Amino acid sequence: MKITRSTLMIVLLSVTIGLSAIVIFPNFSDAESELKTFITHSGKVIRTTGEVIDPLYTVSTVEFDPMEYLREFHYGTVSKLSDGTTVREYTIIAEDDKVMEVSPGVFYNVWTYNGTVPGPTIRATEGDLLKINFINNGSKEHTIHFHGIHPAGMDGVFEAVGPGGGKFVYEFEAGPVGVHPYHCHVMPLEEHIIHGLYGVFIVDPKEGREPADEMVMVLNGLDTDFDTENNFYAANTIPFYYQHHPIQINTNELIRVYVVNMVEFDPINNFHLHGNLYNYYPTGTDMVPSFYTDMITLSQTERGIMEFEYTYPGKYLFHAHKVEFSEKGWVGIFLVSDNAESDESETEYGT
Amino acid sequence: MALSETSKFKVIASGVIPFAFVVLMMLYIFGPGADLLDFGVALPEVTIEKVDFFDSEIQTTVRNTGPIPVQIAIADVNDRIQPAAVEPDGFLDRYETALVRIPFEWNESEPYRIGITIDDGTRFEKEIESAAFVLEFTPDLAIFFAIIGTYVGIIPVMIGLLWLPFIRKISKSKYHFFLALTVGLLLFLGIDAIEEAIEVSNENLAGSFNGILLTATVVVISFIGLYYAGQKLIDRADYSKLTKPVAIALMIAIGIGLHNFGEGLAIGAAVGLGSIAFSTFLIVGFALHNTTEGIAIAGPLSKDKTLSKKSLITKLIGFGLIAGSPAIFGAWIGGFSYSPFSSVIFLAIGAGAIFQVIVVILRLIREEGDKNLSGSSVVAGIAIGMLVMYLTSILV
Repeated sequence: MKITRSTLMIVLLSVTIGLSAIVIFPNFSDAESELKTFITHSGKVIRTTGEVIDPLYTVSTVEFDPMEYLREFHYGTVSKLSDGTTVREYTIIAEDDKVMEVSPGVFYNVWTYNGTVPGPTIRATEGDLLKINFINNGSKEHTIHFHGIHPAGMDGVFEAVGPGGGKFVYEFEAGPVGVHPYHCHVMPLEEHIIHGLYGVFIVDPKEGREPADEMVMVLNGLDTDFDTENNFYAANTIPFYYQHHPIQINTNELIRVYVVNMVEFDPINNFHLHGNLYNYYPTGTDMVPSFYTDMITLSQTERGIMEFEYTYPGKYLFHAHKVEFSEKGWVGIFLVSDNAESDESETEYGT
Repeated sequence: MALSETSKFKVIASGVIPFAFVVLMMLYIFGPGADLLDFGVALPEVTIEKVDFFDSEIQTTVRNTGPIPVQIAIADVNDRIQPAAVEPDGFLDRYETALVRIPFEWNESEPYRIGITIDDGTRFEKEIESAAFVLEFTPDLAIFFAIIGTYVGIIPVMIGLLWLPFIRKISKSKYHFFLALTVGLLLFLGIDAIEEAIEVSNENLAGSFNGILLTATVVVISFIGLYYAGQKLIDRADYSKLTKPVAIALMIAIGIGLHNFGEGLAIGAAVGLGSIAFSTFLIVGFALHNTTEGIAIAGPLSKDKTLSKKSLITKLIGFGLIAGSPAIFGAWIGGFSYSPFSSVIFLAIGAGAIFQVIVVILRLIREEGDKNLSGSSVVAGIAIGMLVMYLTSILV
């Protein structure tokens, strides 16, 4: 009898001690000791022995390089028809099993054209014949649907390309002049778009455009937790990338940005440029700018061409003026250097 | 008692062998190289257990409450990404915690949503209704909490004890009524404590803690533990200086003390979370409410006619302190180092203590003569006890 009682007491005692141990000692993970510092928006310096998680200002790289994508145009394998028409041939491979680091430490299953989000920027001149060899190496049906003018059978809607190596050749004449998106058009459509199956298709006018420092910006969002709200926004996929990797441009040099809005879930997106205004050509179809502004609003797949020049060197932000988007990654910096050709601005502006 | 060595060995072996098979089975299923259960997708989960507001900084305690390790990738305030630091590091094994420090110029009394995004892109959020500076320990504040604890715990219980002379003079059935009233009061407090424990666990603890079962387990352990200890106390009362009524009153005082500890926690936490107006209300409500607890102690004590006046007064003060002063300690802990997990534990211990006291009082009534506990005074007492508590609780 005595033994059972004391056993009971021991059991009760150990349970009590066990529970209070959990209460008193939260099990913190093994400590690191190196002291790190980082500076916040307000200039406050934070010192920590822990790990800094700062996708905003801390220079970091992920697998996809938005700086490379920015100025990379694909003109295809060029050949000529007997009548002199230029033929541009491209191979685009769709995949849907890749897990990519989309922001430092955040991994997301991207569906890709040629391994990246956005897919390659396809560039041609009006009237060129385009041959796009599409291979679907994914596990689902995919297509490519180009915005622009083409025969119904080349629309990438009713000609689903089967998974595991299915093939289709999209053949059409490049047109009209401007900047257009292309994307997968398989149902459920939203799912195929938000996972990353989209890219930019630029059609140059035959007479060409004025020489410029040209770049492509796809405004996109990532819903990494699938709650039909974007967790991240960006110009060219990686949040805050151009903030900690400013885009280097020169004063008195024409800058041309091909902007395409691919954000889903949110009805609008916009583009605000600091310290400057730009000429804006909606869809790039007209040679005469429609607006001279520092702010345009873009709906889904709405796009256009911006042209501007900076007079003063320095750092200039560009971002969504829907501030939620910019605070979740759609923000960048133009680092404007003094162009060697002009030595007028010796003065330092600001402090 | 005359077991031989071999039969003892057989007993032990027969106890150990099935257990050995359990171990073998576990090794087979979960051991290295076992892929029997390698299917399905484990979903990660983190819980933001605590958010504290410091000067230009928000600190959150994050616990991995999912089945797989996670890496904290991003912190945000109101769904806007902010630079942050994770101490000691962002990698969290199961049940591991980390402190996420977010430098942020927050504004007092505004609501904030703090978000944590982990490596797979899933975001977890905790909403704070009203931001307020975290309470840091100062002697002034400690004294403030002690005064509140006195108002809420000690003074009301003492006032309740003043009914003792009245209860002493009444007839047996009326006395039963008062004991039953005590049962009603306590029953209400017990249910209240369980409700509170479940509420705290639902709001602040991850599902993996099984809040309701955690509460149930602690209530039962507290109940049987105190029941065992209480029985010893009463047994000993037969041959010690303590009379049986005094022993029972002491147990009630201890039970109520554990309960008031929980009330102190609630008040301290409310002040800590910045809801001063809310806690003023709590203080008034608990004070009124706790007067009735004094009656609960006075009930059985009145039965003891052997006590001298002086010894009775010392006992009353002693029991008043036992029952009331834990409110002070509760307020300190709730205000200075609030942890939802320990709150649930303390509330559940309090509930178990109260149920134990109820059983003891019911037994006392039975021993006093009402074998079926169906006398009108008992029934009316329990019912009125519950009602009185309900009505005073509306004030909280």
